[in-house]
Formats: sequence, structure tokens, C-alpha cells
Amino acid sequence: MKYVLLILLVCVATFIGYVFSKKYRTRANFFQALLYLCQKFDIEINFSRERLKNIFESLDEKNKNNLKGIDKNFISFIDKEVSLEKENLFKGITFLKEDEKDLIYTFFKSLGRSDVDSQSKEIKNFQSRFETLVTQTNAENKKYGSLSIKLGVIAGLLLVVIFI
Amino acid sequence: MLEKILPDEIYNVLAKRVNFKSINEIRIRADKPIVLLIGSQRTFLSHSGTTSNIKEAIFASKVMVEDIIFRASECSIYSVNEQIKKGFIVTKGGIRLGIGGDLIEENNTIKTMTNFSSVNIRLPHEIKNCSLYAFDYLIDENKVYNTLVMSPPGAGKTTFLRDFVRQLSERNYAYNVLVLDERGELDIGTLGCIGNFADKISFAKKSVGFENGIRSLSPNIIVTDELGQEEDIDAVNYAINCGVTVFASVHCDTIDNFLRKPNFEKIIKNKLFQRYVLLSMKNGPGTLEGIYNENFSRVRL
Repeated sequence: MKYVLLILLVCVATFIGYVFSKKYRTRANFFQALLYLCQKFDIEINFSRERLKNIFESLDEKNKNNLKGIDKNFISFIDKEVSLEKENLFKGITFLKEDEKDLIYTFFKSLGRSDVDSQSKEIKNFQSRFETLVTQTNAENKKYGSLSIKLGVIAGLLLVVIFI
Repeated sequence: MLEKILPDEIYNVLAKRVNFKSINEIRIRADKPIVLLIGSQRTFLSHSGTTSNIKEAIFASKVMVEDIIFRASECSIYSVNEQIKKGFIVTKGGIRLGIGGDLIEENNTIKTMTNFSSVNIRLPHEIKNCSLYAFDYLIDENKVYNTLVMSPPGAGKTTFLRDFVRQLSERNYAYNVLVLDERGELDIGTLGCIGNFADKISFAKKSVGFENGIRSLSPNIIVTDELGQEEDIDAVNYAINCGVTVFASVHCDTIDNFLRKPNFEKIIKNKLFQRYVLLSMKNGPGTLEGIYNENFSRVRL
């Protein structure tokens, strides 16, 4: 029974490490999807003048999943179901820092407000800032993502040694 | 569609306190009272419905005007910039928003409009049979006359044209009708509003639409709204010379003023149109003032 509990302890500690590592992966994937969204906007706006809602709805499933519902929250604003407040846009999103939220909020607030040239320039500006965040979050994920799992395993083993 | 465009505060008052069907125009100007055109009467919008007392009127803000335009573009101003450059947006359902603001010019061409300060929302109406009283005078032995419908703005030209196309279809005049909808107002999207024999080219300049339409769709009749520029007249001339009947409209309040209208000399001199229908606002929009022949003699009223 004792050994079963100890194995369980290692598993729990590893799982906690995995949860922490997932947060880093989610952040990296989120900014990658946001960057893809910018590129898609730029193309669609310049060539087909497609409306925002259609652009969001035509996103592939993988990127939709990685955007963690921010696309749906913005569509709710387009459909006039909610106002474009920060808390509405980031509903259900907990892994972003305040300064990142500010940047993304400004980005979404700028969408659809100007003619093609101005909108395209604005998107490119945000695109370069998101590129920096993609690099940062990828590095974070590489560094702390695997480290979190390792730390979880080590912490579990350490607890086992202490309890033995 | 209006509920998607207007702020809830305004929409709720209109929906609950004013008869929507009676509204022709909603004029919303920054820091000014909201004005409704109901029939031919202008009145202010108030929280209790309509009022003639300006102190009770709901005042619009600049943010409200900008928000309405943003919403009308389906939150995508860039997608309607070509329309905005011409001073309007047409939404699904044919609601036309005339826009006031600052035009931005670059290299002698209009780039866009910003700093929106006013919006005039024109609600389309489908008044069935409104062209009926003129119909028989515009058709002779299964031939439709080249006809020009004249009226001041908001007096029912577009509604008349739309109903005429529908009448043709309902009476089984199986002409191929081409609706050249430069501003997206003629086809308001309701079932059968432009009949069963109509093709449509939207948002194209008349000069382009006439030429492309005649080549590709072989119409018997072309229906189009608001002639004005010299190139529009040339396009009409081209179509009539190709054997296509033209059914069009123009802003004008009297025959005398029409005869003095610049760019229209060719039409008058060459007698391109055989029928002129004059509408006014006298007894509300669509009041028939008279039907005239190519020599401007009355054939009715």
C-alpha cells in the first residue's frame, strides 16, 4: 500500500510539472496562432476584402484551438452580443500577462476600423510585435517547459525519499 | 439588419415607440438631435417616440455616428471603402447610409473618408403595386418604352423602379431584365422583389455595367437608378442604340428643371426616352405628378 502511495505521489508531482509546462506550450501556440491570424488578415484584406467575421470563421481548426476562444469572443462583439471590453475579449484566457493583454486588446480594437492601406500597415506593425512574442514564448517553452516536467519528477522522487 | 447597426438605445425606442414601416429616413448628426423622416414629415426622435420639441429629442454623439458606420460595414470598414469614397454604404437588405465626414485626397484621387460626422439612414420600402397606376402607359403592345422616372431625392424613384420590374415578372412579360444596381439599393433581398427574369450587376459604374451587361447577359431591358454623369448618358445612348430598352431614374423635381439639367441635352434632343414619369412628395413619397411622352406632352394626369 505504501509503495502504491509513493508511486502516486511521483505521478501527482509529475502531473503538476506537466500542467506548468502546458502553460508554456499554450502560450507559445497562442502567439503562433495570433501571428498566423495577422498574416491571414493581411492577405484577405488586401486581396479579397473579406469581412472580419468570415476571416475568423475560415480559420483552420488547429489555429482556432490555439487561439483559446479569443476568436469566438471577438465574433460575439461583431454579432453585437457583447461590447469590446477587455474582460469580454479575454474571457476564459488565464495564461497571458497584463502587458500582453494590453497589446492584443489594442490589436483587436484596431481591426476593421480603417481603409485597406492603413489597416494593412497596422497589421504589419502588430505582426512584428507578435513575432517577438513568438520568439520569446518559444524560448520560454523550450527552457521552462521541459524543466517543469523534470522538476515535477525530481520533486516527486524527493518526496518519496523523504517519506521512506 | 437595423438592429445590428443602430445602438441599442436608439433601436429600442424605434422598435417599441415608432412604426418602423413608416420611417423613410433616420438622420443622425454628431451633437445634433436625431431626425426622422416619416412620410413627408420631419420629426425628432425622443425617448418616448417622436417629438417636435427639440428639448425632448435624443442627441447623437460623434462616437455614435462612427459606431453606426463601423457596424454597417460589418466591422470591416476596409471592405466597403470603395463605397465610402462615394459617400455611402449599402448594407444587406438595401439599407443605404449616406455618410458625411472628411474626405482624404491623395494624388487627386479620393483615398477614403474619415472623421465621420453624420449619417443618413435611408430605409428601403417595397410598396407593392406602386407602379401599377403608370404601368399601362409605359408598355405598348408588349413593348416597354424607354422610360425615365424623375423625382426629388426620397420621393420614391427606386421603389417605383423595383415595383415595375416585379410587375413585368408577375404579368409574365418574360423579358430578360438586367438590373444595374450601382448603389445596391434596387435589390433589397426580399423574395421576388426584382422578379423572376432579372439578372443583376451590383456596384459597377454605369458605363462598365451597361457594356459588360449587354455583352454577357443579352438583356431586353436594363433598369438602373440615378443617371447623372455624362458617361451615364453615353451608356444609355449606347444601350438604346444596341436595341435594349432602358428604364432609369434621375433626380429632378419638375419637367422645366429637367430640360435645363446639364448633361441631358443629348437625351432630350435625340428623344432617347419615350416616357417620363414625374413623382413628388406632395401626398407622401411616390405621388404621381404626371406621365409625359418624348415631346413632354402629358399622356396621363
